[in-house]
Amino acid sequence: MTDDDLAFALDGNAAAGALRELFAAEITTAQIECDTCGSVGAVGSLRFYAAPMGVVLRCNNCAGLVLRAVRTPHGRWLEMRGAHCMRFAPA
Amino acid sequence: MTAIEPQAIPARRLEWRRAKARQVITETPRVKSLLLDVAGWPGHLPGQHVDVRLTGEDGYQAQRSYSIASPAEDTLVALTVERVKNGEVSPYLVDEIRMDDQFELRGPIGGYFVWTVAMGGPLCLIAAGSGIAPLMAMLRHRERQSADVPSVLLYSARSLEDAIYREELDAMAHRNPALRVVGALTRRQAEGWTGYRRRVDRSMLADTCFPPDRAPRIFVCGPTPFVEDVSSFLIELGHDASMIKTERFGPTGEPA
Repeated sequence: MTDDDLAFALDGNAAAGALRELFAAEITTAQIECDTCGSVGAVGSLRFYAAPMGVVLRCNNCAGLVLRAVRTPHGRWLEMRGAHCMRFAPA
Repeated sequence: MTAIEPQAIPARRLEWRRAKARQVITETPRVKSLLLDVAGWPGHLPGQHVDVRLTGEDGYQAQRSYSIASPAEDTLVALTVERVKNGEVSPYLVDEIRMDDQFELRGPIGGYFVWTVAMGGPLCLIAAGSGIAPLMAMLRHRERQSADVPSVLLYSARSLEDAIYREELDAMAHRNPALRVVGALTRRQAEGWTGYRRRVDRSMLADTCFPPDRAPRIFVCGPTPFVEDVSSFLIELGHDASMIKTERFGPTGEPA
């Protein structure tokens, strides 16, 4: 994925369609803590790097990798090593 | 951080639905609004978007995201689409779609870039070009709710002819003194134009947007460079980053 090309940076909110295939709850308003720098913000406010294969979300503060969701012929991969925790709004 | 507690948005399975064009409105030479009858549409919140999927006769599929421009109160779903040169989806939506034509869409998507009257204000909306679409859904919703939330729209367009929803916005502001609509024309200004004659800059934002001590909820939508500039100006002016929500267009210029 060419996730370093700034020209492709969007807002995390734009990744909502792809992430809705993985998360049952509304994901863009969930608060997510970056494991690299500890800053907390809504998933919709992260930097979104769109690629044909999937989604890369980076921290708005430190640009650390927070979440990757990739679609492959063998299934969908979700990698969240860079996210310390997530908090979803009460239903 | 002072997070805005969003209202809980019920999660629904995201499925492709059939959309039928009920009305096509020419907004500007490059922009049309499609009023769509969407099978099983569950309703939406102002600011949300949809994914549109077109399938060619050979099975090739192209997908793009478009903001919903209609208020939550409407049954038809309005998409306002700008024709992008060499685009895969927008030329079809702008030039080819006729009444009763059908295509697939899924949504509503995205609960982050959302404003409802219940969230309160003051409300500061800043748009460039077709970035006005999701903000228009908010303004239309605000009017349908007869809300007096103090609001300002700062809208940048290349020329008066390129300004979308011009008459509706003027009428809306005329009907409601709590709403102020400010235009900035960047390339060509009609004779007698009394609005701004330049791109949105820091002093323009300081003059039009509510000051930071009133803690306005700010929504910015437009091409990526516009959104980045405006966000940094707003931060420099002292607005809290958590109060600024942004929606950038994709690299092709299509709303993403």
